[in-house]
Amino acid sequence: MSIGIDDLTPTSAPALVEGTARVVALEGDRVWLEPEPRSGCGTCASAGVCGAKGIGTTANRLEARRFPLHDHLGLSVGERVVVGVPENALLKATGALYAIPLASTLGAGAVAQWAAGSDEVTLAAMIAGLALGMLAARLGAGRLGACGDLAPRLLRRAAPGEICERD
Amino acid sequence: MQDYVLLMVGAALVNNVILARFLGLCSFMGVTTRLDTAIGMGLATTFVITVSSMLNWGAQEYLLDPYGLGYLRTVVFILVIAAAVQFTEMTVRKVSPPLFQMLGIYLPLITTNCAVLGVALLVVEGKMGLLGATLFGFASSVGYSLVMVIFAGLRERLALADVPRLFAGPPIGFIVASLLALAFMGFSGISTH
Repeated sequence: MSIGIDDLTPTSAPALVEGTARVVALEGDRVWLEPEPRSGCGTCASAGVCGAKGIGTTANRLEARRFPLHDHLGLSVGERVVVGVPENALLKATGALYAIPLASTLGAGAVAQWAAGSDEVTLAAMIAGLALGMLAARLGAGRLGACGDLAPRLLRRAAPGEICERD
Repeated sequence: MQDYVLLMVGAALVNNVILARFLGLCSFMGVTTRLDTAIGMGLATTFVITVSSMLNWGAQEYLLDPYGLGYLRTVVFILVIAAAVQFTEMTVRKVSPPLFQMLGIYLPLITTNCAVLGVALLVVEGKMGLLGATLFGFASSVGYSLVMVIFAGLRERLALADVPRLFAGPPIGFIVASLLALAFMGFSGISTH
């Protein structure tokens, strides 16, 4: 069976980037969710088996990433759910977070090198540029957050064995 | 100015960190199953490599060289990279918790990415100035991100293709990666140095 290149084009590209999370607490009409750990190889659920607690461990990192969502599914503690974030929001977020500080760092360094020609001055300018870029990123992220673009959405209960990676 | 442009073209395309230097292959194969994860990982790596190139240049210039501690270079660079990743993670969490929820997952993976250390060592080998070192790090990581995104796009298409069972999964991924490397060999015709 031969397949043309047009047949390989995804026809139902998801508009949402999906991930799985576990309900860890209930608070009125809100649920607190803990994202399931993901690793590069896609072994989402098994990547969290190193259960030691402490700074820098998987459990510690996951605890820091808990987030609340409005519960319209009637969830209970321990259930697994699928949450989604718009794909374009992910791109905007990465742009705001990384592109702005990088541009300000490199721009400040280039200007300082051109004006002073000294590595010490260039280093100081780049660090200042990085700090300013981070401030600008904070403003950009605040604007995105105010639009509600960055808020994840509760989509559905996760099916048994469902993981966040789509293979 | 021309030197910097040639340095960046050379680092991003001619001596691509993945396809020519074979660094960062684990993330190349592991995080490219989806386009969005490849973009997230690529941009996070770009940020960390650029910042750590700048900091590692400072460590080499103001600590290792003056005190004759060159033999500690690898250890010091690893510490600087880990500190840069931790700093980035803390800053992202402080700057925007929602962004940290979305993108923080990629940061811990970067600490163990050999491309970051490899670029830092290449900077020392090249005896570059600060701006040159930072631009080299930036261009190398842009090349890394470019290849990650191209390969993720190819793998998303491969997932829909009728691949013989014997080649399905990683085997066809390796074959496609080798074809991509051959395509990038075409850039070696560009003389940058």
